[in-house]
This record gives sequence, structure tokens and C-alpha cells, in this order.
Amino acid sequence: MRVTKVWTAVCALIGALALTAGCANSGSAPTGGSGGSGGASSSSSGPVKVGVIVPLSGPAGPNGQDVLDAIQVQADLVNAQGGVLGRQLQIVAKDDQSNPANGVSAATQLASEGVSVVMGGWNSPVTLAIQPVLVRAGILNITTIPQNATILGNADPDAVRLNAGNAVGAYVAGQYLTKNLGAKSVGYLLENDAYGKDLGALLSAQLQPAGVAVASEQTFDYSATDFRVPLSNIQGAAPQAVFSANAAESSGMPALAQQYARSGIGAPHVAALGTVSPKVIDLAGGAAVDGLYSADIYFPDVAPFNGYPQNQKFADAFRQKTGNAPDKYAALGAESVEVWAAAVAKAGSLDRQPVADAIHGQTFTDTVMGDVSFTDKGQMQTKVYAFTVEGGKVKVLDEVPVPAEVWNS
Amino acid sequence: MTADLATRETTGAPAARRVPTPLRALLWVVLVALAYLLPTLLGGSDRIYTTVVLVAIFAIMSYGVDVVLSYLGEVSLGHTLFWAAGAYTTAILAVRSGWSPIPALLASVVVTVVLALLLGLATLRTREFVFSLVTYAAAIIGLTVVQNTTALGGSDGVVGVPLLELPAFGGTYVARTNAELWPIALVCLVLVVLLVSRFRRSRLGTTALMAQMNGELSTAMGVDVRRTRVLVFVLSAPITALAGWLYAYQRSYVSPDLLSPTFLLFMLTAVILPGRRLLLGPLVGAALLTSQQQLASLGGDADKIVLGGVLAVVLLASPTGLVGIWHALVRRVRGSRR
Repeated sequence: MRVTKVWTAVCALIGALALTAGCANSGSAPTGGSGGSGGASSSSSGPVKVGVIVPLSGPAGPNGQDVLDAIQVQADLVNAQGGVLGRQLQIVAKDDQSNPANGVSAATQLASEGVSVVMGGWNSPVTLAIQPVLVRAGILNITTIPQNATILGNADPDAVRLNAGNAVGAYVAGQYLTKNLGAKSVGYLLENDAYGKDLGALLSAQLQPAGVAVASEQTFDYSATDFRVPLSNIQGAAPQAVFSANAAESSGMPALAQQYARSGIGAPHVAALGTVSPKVIDLAGGAAVDGLYSADIYFPDVAPFNGYPQNQKFADAFRQKTGNAPDKYAALGAESVEVWAAAVAKAGSLDRQPVADAIHGQTFTDTVMGDVSFTDKGQMQTKVYAFTVEGGKVKVLDEVPVPAEVWNS
Repeated sequence: MTADLATRETTGAPAARRVPTPLRALLWVVLVALAYLLPTLLGGSDRIYTTVVLVAIFAIMSYGVDVVLSYLGEVSLGHTLFWAAGAYTTAILAVRSGWSPIPALLASVVVTVVLALLLGLATLRTREFVFSLVTYAAAIIGLTVVQNTTALGGSDGVVGVPLLELPAFGGTYVARTNAELWPIALVCLVLVVLLVSRFRRSRLGTTALMAQMNGELSTAMGVDVRRTRVLVFVLSAPITALAGWLYAYQRSYVSPDLLSPTFLLFMLTAVILPGRRLLLGPLVGAALLTSQQQLASLGGDADKIVLGGVLAVVLLASPTGLVGIWHALVRRVRGSRR
């Protein structure tokens, strides 16, 4: 049993190593904290590096590329105007593969490359994973697309979120169903996952106090394209209006809109905020889905957006680069660069805290999405417009005002 | 293939014993000291420290699978369950109940041992393909349960795991950065290597190997094969859970992606690529894979193709992994000299 003695000796040595390494270090000042001393901190000359973390491979790869293109286009526009603090912007993009572990690697790499800010994101779990890394590295994070409620006010006290969350979607739908359509009973067509269930629960919480009954609740899978069974169940329940939450932009939602229009259900169909893009209308057969209601925060070619000079510039440059009209996600990408650049100019600094303070609770005028303001928690508030489909085209109806507390959740 | 491995094992053992024991111990100590200084020698940047910490964590994770794969001869596709159980138990106890790291680690070990015992008993009569399938089914069930259970954070996961803080002389040692986490990760790794090394020589380890080589013979010799299988399986789980514990603090966020095939493929490849039944095999495998992904990444899709391609080529060329290719080369060189 001499072997055991050797092990004891080795164990003792490791113990000693553990103890030398394990001397208390809690008294010293935190490294990489607010001072931004962690890692290779950004240099004070040369271009300003702007980190972007989006999925560039896998199923969400094309979406991430779109957001990245928009960020690049807007950075070029900012550079043409002289950059920020007299320095040019340089975009450094990393692929998160829609995977939190890779997102963390990407954030660590960007921190070591000395970026001044990290923007982007497509999947909420990736954003939640990179928040602590960037907080420790002293780098500001601007969340462009993910809309999870826990992004604000948790791991990152200075979080900035641009997209509207589910609470806004449910609020707008609730307002439209009760105020504009005056419905007394509503049928639900919900995606059978966190997104659909969440929207349904939030909407019910609004409809119940208003005395509106939920006549029928039908669910379907994200990948579903045949809705005849849920639609005939809805028809049987005869509600005065129908609310749908289907985020499958390229298959499920166009099919649902088309099959609803053909089903002979007389009640108006109100689709959740952001689920009816021009692409959905085209795929559903254009004028075939006339009368469909929905809401969104950006339309490139429709009033009032086509009247904003910043939007015209961005949309033209984006078309030139990609050959396509920018959608809402591209606009949010551009908006993140625009807001950050304006905040840096206002703060006169690239550091995390001053720039965050120049965004939280502040208003930015004349941006790609018009005039926008931020809540104290860091959520961007934009104008939300209800719209309908008329002759196969989007026709913007009215703005639906949304209170700040709804935006924050 | 197994016969080939067995001869290598038996011929390798006396050769190793030729080195006097105190010298071997000294060699190990030097190796550990070198490992400790490695990130400093490589420049000591944040990126290097992140890479070495991840290598240590992923190596520990892979050692759990290694114990089952190399010594029991079964491919467990359910070890992501223990990896996630370690990380989730830690994250939930630390975030919601304010537990400190050591009690959270103990709780993680208890949870994974219970899980492993259940899964081990459930797979008692299964072998090979069926064993793999049942363990995989367990991992899929785990993923679905975690994604749909609000108490476990659902698809959002658990946010805001605090910093790893351990009691030390004169107060506490706080791992704020990967550089400060490195000593802790290294100690965990060395302890796991010691444990696996001890296991290889133990009665349980040799019995497991014997049961793998010839189950009927070992039964005839009075070995309780089923008991051995369950014990080895239960031993492997807390090793992987220890990695999950570290990972929860390192990433400060746990989500259902821990149960994704990414980590499953990683741990299997880390064991199989260098060659099974090598004490430092999983460490070498984890180091190769992590360094490629962290320091020489070719992009998401290309990385996956490289990983799958390398694994396929190595296994086609030599079923015993890189070490088998090395042995073949050595034999050829020696042969040509004669």
C-alpha cells in the first residue's frame, strides 16, 4: 500500500496549493468593475470598436445576418457624419450560434478585443448568458431583438432593451379588442409554447376586468400549418373577435391567416403584435387576407415612417447593401447604433456608466423609428400602430398609446 | 478491439511501475505546478484564462462519462442530465435560497447520486444499444421537464448566479474573474484525476473492467456484475455534477442548453478522440476541443463539421483513438529501422 502514501503526499501538496491560492482576496478592489480595468480596455485613439453578437450560423443565421447588416449600414452612415467623438466606428461581429455557451465565448473575446459596447442578440437565453460577462468586463450591452422580461433590472442594472416585450403585445391587443372592436367575447388561437401561453395569460388578465369572456382557447404547435380543427372549434364557439399568437413567420402564420379568411368565421381576426410582416401578407395571398388586424412598431414605406428623414436614409442604404427593404428587426439594429452613438455624444465618453445614464430615462428625437424615449429601467418606448390589410397592403390605422409600466415588463 | 486494448493495458502496467514511486509522485507535482502556471506562461490574457478554466470544467465533465465508457464499456448518453443537475441545483440554491458554494456542491452531489441511482437501477438489465437508448431517453425527458417547469426557470433558465466565494485564511476567496477561478478549477480537476486514478486500481475498477471483458466469467468467479454496474454508474455522476457546479459559477447563468446535444457530443468526443482508458485522455480531449473552439474557431457550422470530421477520420483510421494512431506510427518507424 505504498501507493496510498504517495497519494497522501500528492493530496497534501494540492491542499497547500489550494491554500496559497485560497488566501482571502475579498479585501482588494474588484477587478474589471466600474472602472473598466478588466481585460484589454479600449484604447483612446484609432477606431471605436463596436461588438455585435448575433447568430450567424444555424437556423437563425439569416436573421442574425440581417441585423448585422443593418448595424453595419447604420455605422457607415454615422461614420459618414464624422463618427463618434471624432472617431470612426468599426464593427466586430461574433457568431453566438443561438447558443448561450457560444454567446459567453463571443462576449469574452469581444471584451479582450477592447470593444466599447456590445449590441445585437436574437435569442433571449444568449442575452441572459452574456449579461454577467459584460457587466464584469465593464462593457455596456444594448439588447437589440430579445424581449424576455428578465433582461431588464436583473444581472445587468444598466441593461438597455429595444424590442417590445409580450406585455406590450398583450396590452395593445387588449386595447384594440375592447375599445376599437368592442368585443364582449374573444376566441384564442395560441402557439403551444412559452410565447403563446404567456401572451394568452397576459391578455386574459386584461380582458377579465373589462368583462370580456374567453369563448374558446385553441392551441397548436409552432410548426403547424393546418388549422382546420382549431378554426372549426372557434367557429362553434362563435366569439365576437379572435386573437391569434403565431410567430412562425414563413409558414404557420401565413397559413393561419389564409385559412382563417377562408373559414367563414365572421368575427375580426386580431393577430399579435409583430406577427404580420409584409412577407406574411405576401405568402398568405395578399388581398386574400384583407381585413386582418395587427400592430407593429415599424413599417419602412408607410406613413408616418416614410416621412422620417433618418429612416429614408437608412432604408435607402440598406436596400443598396442587401437588395431588400428593411424589416422591423433591421430597423431595431440600426436604432441600437443610432441611440448608442447619440448617447456617447451626449455623455462625451465611451465608458459604460455615463453612456448608460445618457440612455436611461432619456428621449432621442428624429431616429430611424421617429422620436423614442427610454424608461428608467432601460426599455425603449416607441409608438405602436394598429394596422389592417387592405388590398394586400399594410394600412396603418391609429397609434395605440402604451403606458411606461407596461413597457418595463 | 477489446482484446487489443487489454494487451496494451497489461503490457503498459509493468513499464509504468519501473519508475520509482517517489519519483512518479514528484513528476505529478511538477506537472500540476506547470499546469497552474500554464496560463501565465501563455501570456495571461483574459482569453487564455477563460480557455484554461473551460478546459478544466469540460475535462471534469468528460471524466464522468469516461468512467462509464472506458471501464464499464457502456456509452452513456444521459450524462448531460448529471451535468445539468449539478449546475441547476447550484444555481437554484444559490440564487433563490442564498446557499454558499460548498453546501450547494454537497446538495448537487446528493441530487445527482439519487438521479444516478434511479437511472442505474432502471438500466440494470440493459446492455449496449439499449442502455444508450434508455440513458438518452432520460436526457430528453430531463430537457423537456426543465424547459416546461417554471420552478426550474423554464426555457429562460436561472439568472444571476453569484460569484464563487470560498472560505480561506483571513476571510474569503472570491473568484471574480476567470483568472481567480483558475486555481479552484485546477484543484477540482486534479482531485478528479486522482479519484479516477484511484478508481482504476480499486477493486471496483478492476471488477468493472473484468465484467466488461467477460461478464459470464466474472459472474462465475463470484462477481456481482449488476451491483458493479450500478456502483460505477453512481460514482460517475457526481464527477460530472462537480463540473456543473463550477460551470454555474463560471457562467453565472444556467439554461436548458446544458441538456443539449452540444455538451453530450463534447464529452463523448473528449473521451473517444484521444483513446479510451487513458488516465489523462479526457483532459487531452477536452483541451484539444476547447482550444480549437476558443482560440482557432472557424465559425459555428465549420466547427461542427471539423469536430465531426476529425472524430470520424480518427475512428475510421484507428478505433482506439489518437493514441492508437501514435502506436501504429511508432511501430512503423521501429519496423523500418530494423
